[in-house]
Amino acid sequence: MNTTVADDILHIPRKQTLTVPDTAQEAFDKLTHTVGTPTVADPKMQTSDVNVFYGEKQAIFDVNLDIGHKEVIAMIGPSGCGKSTFLRCLNRMNDTIPTCRVTGNMSLDGEDLYGADLDPVLLRARVGMVFQKPNPFAKSIYDNVAYGPRIHGLSSNRAELDDIVVDSLKKAGLYDEVKDRLDAPGTSLSGGQQQRLCIARSIAVSPEVILMDEPCSALDPIATARIEELIDELRQNYAIAIVTHSMQQAARVSQRTAYFHLGKLVEVNSTNAVFTNPQHELTENYITGRFG
Amino acid sequence: MDKLHLDQHISHQFNKELEDIRNKVLTMGGLVEQQVTNGLTALLEADNDLATEVVQRDVEVNKLEVEIDEHCTQVLARRQPAASDLRLIVTVIKVITDLERIGDEAEKLGRFSRDLIELKDDLPSYRKELRHLGELVKSMLRDSLDAFARLDVDAALAIAQRDEDVNREYETLERLLSTHLVEDPRQVSKLFKITWCARALERVGDHSVNICEYVVYLVKGRDIRHISFDQIRSEFIK
Amino acid sequence: MNTTTDKVRASLKKRYAAEKRFRFYGVFAIAASIGFLFILLVSIVSKGWPAFTQTFVKLDVELSSQTLGITDAPTASELRSANYGGVVKQSMRNRFPDVSSRGDKKALYQLISTGAEYELYDRVAADPGLIGSTLSLWVPADDELGALIKSKADLSDPDSISTRMSDKQIGWANRLQSTGELELRFNSTFFKNGDSREPELAGIRAALMGSAFTLLITFTLSFPIAVAAAIYLEEFAPQNRWTDLVEVNINNLAAVPSIVFGLLGLAVFINFFHLPRSAPVVGGIVLSLMTLPTIIISSRAALKAVPPSIREAARGLGASPLQVVTHHVLPLAMPGILTGTIIGLAQALGETAPLLMIGMVAFIVDIPESVTDAATVLPVQVFLWADSPERAFVEKTSAAIMVLLGFLILMNALAVFLRKRFERRW
Repeated sequence: MNTTVADDILHIPRKQTLTVPDTAQEAFDKLTHTVGTPTVADPKMQTSDVNVFYGEKQAIFDVNLDIGHKEVIAMIGPSGCGKSTFLRCLNRMNDTIPTCRVTGNMSLDGEDLYGADLDPVLLRARVGMVFQKPNPFAKSIYDNVAYGPRIHGLSSNRAELDDIVVDSLKKAGLYDEVKDRLDAPGTSLSGGQQQRLCIARSIAVSPEVILMDEPCSALDPIATARIEELIDELRQNYAIAIVTHSMQQAARVSQRTAYFHLGKLVEVNSTNAVFTNPQHELTENYITGRFG
Repeated sequence: MDKLHLDQHISHQFNKELEDIRNKVLTMGGLVEQQVTNGLTALLEADNDLATEVVQRDVEVNKLEVEIDEHCTQVLARRQPAASDLRLIVTVIKVITDLERIGDEAEKLGRFSRDLIELKDDLPSYRKELRHLGELVKSMLRDSLDAFARLDVDAALAIAQRDEDVNREYETLERLLSTHLVEDPRQVSKLFKITWCARALERVGDHSVNICEYVVYLVKGRDIRHISFDQIRSEFIK
Repeated sequence: MNTTTDKVRASLKKRYAAEKRFRFYGVFAIAASIGFLFILLVSIVSKGWPAFTQTFVKLDVELSSQTLGITDAPTASELRSANYGGVVKQSMRNRFPDVSSRGDKKALYQLISTGAEYELYDRVAADPGLIGSTLSLWVPADDELGALIKSKADLSDPDSISTRMSDKQIGWANRLQSTGELELRFNSTFFKNGDSREPELAGIRAALMGSAFTLLITFTLSFPIAVAAAIYLEEFAPQNRWTDLVEVNINNLAAVPSIVFGLLGLAVFINFFHLPRSAPVVGGIVLSLMTLPTIIISSRAALKAVPPSIREAARGLGASPLQVVTHHVLPLAMPGILTGTIIGLAQALGETAPLLMIGMVAFIVDIPESVTDAATVLPVQVFLWADSPERAFVEKTSAAIMVLLGFLILMNALAVFLRKRFERRW
């Protein structure tokens, strides 16, 4: 036992000799490779050498990152670090931006996301997304949840659809609050309820991965706690990637944490390691609030 | 990372709070070191006044511990520190616990030296035996506080290694004192007090080692407690 | 008390005064607009109101086949060419046996509108069995007499009246009035007839139907085309020079003078494609060209106003681009699109110039029954009547304007109703 721990100590990596950067550009230039363990043994999604461009401007630089089965991976970093861009590439939501260009490999269960034979519509049914602002459709609660199954033809009759809706609402922890008013407009719910409705709407399609783009940034702490609890429960069945500005939230909900800086993936490690002993100076500076 | 960069937070108030805590720990360390020195002096030179002063000043050490503890709790609650800041706070909480214990050992030295003076101790030679151990332990404590102040891992590991010398010295003393006991059983109570003093000094060494281990944790983020020193040494000390 | 407080306090008075002034300007502007609108409406309604009534004269008509100049078992064509005028004149002579000179008789006949003959024909044609009987009939009076009655002039005192009618005519009218054979009634003719040279026979129906047909064409052409164009440009078109060019052109098109569209219609639809002249179908096409940019621009604005988060949500669930539009974006944009459409159609409804170019200014007596029949529209009718010299056309003009406004209000009400319906579906 002692030897393994000691071995561990033997391999304490030296931190990259980076003091607090004078300029963002300097820090950016000095970033060469990702620190930590970007790969997992059993990946659900894999990305390697991903570069994303908006026109001439490069937003993501050589990112390699795996998302494992049944894990929550948090992506943190200062604004404009590319974490949202990266997240949105994972279900090709950036396709609609005409100037956006993605290179490198991204795959879901080994299937190339940007391959010729992969339909983005099908991909989005497998990789669901929850957005920053709760954005229920201008329809009833029932229709909001039923929308995905309807367009994909997941149910053959009304009873089956009912089951899917009720099941999804239950999984999202919203059913008890809305079971008497499924016909009420989705927009009549409170912010936290709306966000859970959006989560219910995503899981109604039975996705394999759920992407969350700052899902709690518009919510109060109690609604946030509910969503976080929900994320923890959903982890039993889905791989979840969450982008968040709240480091505490990343620390609370995730198993692994990835730190992005100016489009580069600086460090990926277990959340425990990142929040107690980050390996990279930049990560350290960011999570301790030392960003200049 | 061989510096904490306590002055580089976006929040100046946070900088100040952490700097405050660190300074207070160093103050407390200085006070405890003084107490040990005074306790040892009182013991070796049978200085009753100094012994009394040491006993009385332990309250100050205790007060500082409580104060720093509260500061740390507040920072935890209000700043939710992470990474090096978190390690600093955790380290400080542990360091002050050990410092307080060292303070208690110094107080013991004070009390035993008063007791020995009361007993009209005529065995100064036995007490003199404690000088070497005392000097060893004092330097260990001072160096470990230095290592904490300078975040010097190499120094911290070297200091931890010195604990073995302390232990050897203590065992030698123990043997010596038991020989005296056999030779002159009438002195049993005095000899016991002296043994207790030796024991207290040895404990100070142990606490100093703890402080060194916390320094390694603070700087490297690895907990090296309960690991054989041979293994650590081979890697850390070059 | 520090200096900031003092300074703020000193400037407060000025700021409040400025606010008060601004509010006053606002209230004044609104009051002025309401005032002008009120004057306009009062002037139109007061002028146009009389047009909704008409003076009728009671005639006992003896329908002898001899006077009509037909056989006892007349054919349809005989009925059509029968001498109804003679019958009417005869009955007037019977009513006033003391009138003998040729000139007086002619003056007497002038009291009755020529419409009496058409009315008589309609009755006989509907029931040929009436021939041989004597029919008691209210027929429209001449417009001069009508105007006199409406002005409530004292017919017993001809000197007090300024009119083109002679004293004798006034005397006869007075006799008719005193025996109750002269009456003011609701003018159903105005809503039933097409245009006419005789003011008392002129009606709005042809123009109304013309407008309705034209707008129908305009709506069915411009709404789907404009909405489709707006959706494509807003949701699907790539952002490049080509679409920029299209966008600029659409915006410019909205500013093209409408007469240019008329010229285009004349050159392309009538001269090249040989579509019928003066027909609502051509008018509708021309007006939809004019309306298109308006609807496209407002539809694009409505589509743009739909929050992008809704599109993202739908796309994130795996909706295809078309599903995103039809299921989510379009329903949310519909109220805005409808508003734009109504504004465009209202513009089209009031448009005159382009229709002049394609011959919809023609004198239309027959009510159009399809989109290819010759027709005119309400604003053109207003223009025509405003141009006519007869005094009675003044009130017709105003009445036509009232009908036009009524039509507009009806359309807007429909728009509001539709908006409410779509909005209720959140």
